[in-house]
Amino acid sequence: VRTMALTQVSANKCCGGYQKVFEHDSSELKCKMKFAIYLPPKAESGKCPVLYWLSGLTCTEQNFITKAGSQRAASEHGIIIVAPDTSPRGCNIDGEDESWDFGTGAGFYVDATQDPWKTNYRMYSYITEELPRLINSNFPADPEKMSISGHSMGGHGALICALKNPGKYKAVSAFAPICNPVQCAWGQKAFSGYLGPDKSTWEAYDATILAASYSGPELDILIDQGREDQFLSSSQLLPDNLIAACSEKKIPVVFRLQQGYDHSYYFVYSFINDHVKHHAKYLNA
Amino acid sequence: MDVYEMRGRLQVIAEEMAVSEDEDGEGDEEAFVMVSKRPSTSSSSFCRDCATPAHSGHPPNHRVLPLQEAAQDMKTELSQSCSKLTEKITQMENFASNLEEIFITVEENFGRQEQNLEQHYSDVLQTLSQRNSENSAALQDQKKQKLEALYGQLLACGRLLDTSKDLIESAQELHRCQNKHAFLQVELKAGVSIDFTTPTADLSAVKQMMESINVVPAPSAPVMNPQVVNSATTSSLRVCWSLFSDDTVDFYQLYCRQISEDITTETEQDASVRRVKETHYVVTDLLPNAQYEFWVTATNTTGISPASERAVYMTVPSPPVIKLQESVSCLEAALIRWDSGNTNPVESYTLELSEADNHSSVTESIVAIPTCECLVQLQPWKRYIINIRAVNIGGASERSQPITISTTGTLFHLLKETAHPSLSVSPDGFTIALWRSRSVMCTSMTEMYLSCLCWVCSCVAVLGDLIPVRGQHYWEVEVDEWAEYRVGVAYEDTQRTSYLGANATSWCMRHLLTPSRHKYEFLHNGWSADVRITVQPFRIGVFLDYERGTLSFYNALLQQHLYTFSCCFHHYVLPCFALDKPGALTLHTGLTAPKYITHT
Repeated sequence: VRTMALTQVSANKCCGGYQKVFEHDSSELKCKMKFAIYLPPKAESGKCPVLYWLSGLTCTEQNFITKAGSQRAASEHGIIIVAPDTSPRGCNIDGEDESWDFGTGAGFYVDATQDPWKTNYRMYSYITEELPRLINSNFPADPEKMSISGHSMGGHGALICALKNPGKYKAVSAFAPICNPVQCAWGQKAFSGYLGPDKSTWEAYDATILAASYSGPELDILIDQGREDQFLSSSQLLPDNLIAACSEKKIPVVFRLQQGYDHSYYFVYSFINDHVKHHAKYLNA
Repeated sequence: MDVYEMRGRLQVIAEEMAVSEDEDGEGDEEAFVMVSKRPSTSSSSFCRDCATPAHSGHPPNHRVLPLQEAAQDMKTELSQSCSKLTEKITQMENFASNLEEIFITVEENFGRQEQNLEQHYSDVLQTLSQRNSENSAALQDQKKQKLEALYGQLLACGRLLDTSKDLIESAQELHRCQNKHAFLQVELKAGVSIDFTTPTADLSAVKQMMESINVVPAPSAPVMNPQVVNSATTSSLRVCWSLFSDDTVDFYQLYCRQISEDITTETEQDASVRRVKETHYVVTDLLPNAQYEFWVTATNTTGISPASERAVYMTVPSPPVIKLQESVSCLEAALIRWDSGNTNPVESYTLELSEADNHSSVTESIVAIPTCECLVQLQPWKRYIINIRAVNIGGASERSQPITISTTGTLFHLLKETAHPSLSVSPDGFTIALWRSRSVMCTSMTEMYLSCLCWVCSCVAVLGDLIPVRGQHYWEVEVDEWAEYRVGVAYEDTQRTSYLGANATSWCMRHLLTPSRHKYEFLHNGWSADVRITVQPFRIGVFLDYERGTLSFYNALLQQHLYTFSCCFHHYVLPCFALDKPGALTLHTGLTAPKYITHT
């Protein structure tokens, strides 16, 4: 068993707490990984629940912590927010940096089964297993209270993590998630690359398909979607499919189509407080 | 005894005293001279016991003093006696002057009494002579009439005598004649009737006058006392009065009359009378919250006093009746409404409240409430028992039946009077239903729309009676799957011709059915957020927070947040419930806002 050594990359006081970045050697991904963690003031005196934030295509751990403005709400509600990177980096795999929607910065939160990706691209296991272990053993985190959220590809990641692990996450929410990757260009490209041509294996990572067969504790899903989102109109996100599945399955979803907003972090910034509050409701219950 | 005479005698005594004093003085001197003249011949000492100059052969047990000393002693004694006597004289003089005063007073009183009696005597005489002259005139008249009648009868008598004479003659003739039966055919006529009525002299007035010449004067008018606090009940009044101390009274007569507020029945009702020995009386069998007029007369053997001034007393009102369905509450306050319980107005009301779990009687009272409602501030998470008393000048009524208020949530009912005419509100005030489709209704009920108080024409709605307190309020609405409804809040002055949520003064959640799905809108000012909800809420939690300026909607069964309006509510809002299609919805109030709402 390797020791999970953490190296602090940066620490900045923020909203009474600290915004820090750490680096560690990931056993799951076989590479050095960075993650950002916001520690609210409450973490100095006791254990706090953790919200895992999954970013979208091309992002690193930096995008969310510098653009989303989540720290104030996290400070007020006493929530730790962990924002990992979006893929393994520097693994010297052929073609990993060729396109922005596949390989580096586009891990799609799956455990790859295909060569040459299957050794490193195990983001699903990293997010649901390794990272929580690391956080729980190194920070004042309450292991019983975790929730998950994300943006775009990260929204997809958040939804599948919650749907595949009933009861593990107390709450889930998403900004402009890729709701039905099996049906959209991004998803098809990534899944065929990481999982191979057998489409039945893709279904294990598709929120809409997972929702249709979900059974477990009641989930309360909050989704915000910008109406002027170019990827909505280009059918990359397909929220209607997820809503239909959830309506059918009676999975509670509040889906808010926000007039005038696009796919950017300006949109995320505008509604992050509602999401942190949504998570706080279940994490602090 | 004549006082003057006595005084004269006293003076004589005083003079004699003065004289004897002088004589004593002279005697002393003489004695002194006598003694001083013979100092050589006799001894120079004096025996106190023998009161003579002492000789050599004097008994040894006697007190012997030098002569001069003895003289001095005697002088002192004499002057003391002298001053005592002077004092006595002064006292006697005072006594004499007192007696003189008493004498004068007695004489004056006798004089007054005499005057009174003379007055009465002359009154009686006058009355008698007046009566006499009246009666004698009447008797003269009668005499004259009677004489005239007698004269008339005398004349008749004369005529009768003549007839009789004729009769005798004819009888004699008949006697002489053979036919004895003819006598029977002749009429006999005789007899005079004298029936005079003897007038009886009416002397009762005189008798009364004689009786009034009495030692005890008739009492003067008693004085009514004003009503005393807490002396009345709903059906009785304790009436008090007083009299002048030197009046003697055998009994009083207390008159009682209800003062009618209604002018049409102001036909001087008969006063009831009661005979009372004391100067107070409890009048019973009266009406509540009514004014009564009282006055008394005092009576003794001599007569009846004039009536006292009239005093107005008021019975205590009946207890009010709390309107349970119209009393509302929240965490910090309650708005209690009640019926007066009295047909005529009362002065004010008193609200009494006590904590139900705290067994002390009353912890707080609010007095001088002019109207039939009161907003009372309370502590959250407690149970209170509240009752009302009606108050007028007579005092406070009994307590009303109590109402129990639990400050654990916001309790209100639907305002039935604001309901659209086609909307039926259940008797308990919590369920509304729309039976007919609105297209049918619009043709048949146009006239009703015109007179309707509420949203009318467009929005089939009813308002809720939310307490006007700027706190947090939570209520739930139970809906069925196919009901198309709007639930939310609106300012009281919201335009009544527009749909709920279609204007700047109302906020609502709307459910409607489209061919493909259940659609939810969160409407304000005609604009709705585009929100999709995957699980249909059958129980909607509505949370209004004036302080934060938010109105939130929840799927209460899932504890799922659906939408939040952010708005500064400048005025008080009222909950609003509308049905766009036939269906029903049920309101649940008095619930505690769930923690998942209040703790985030």
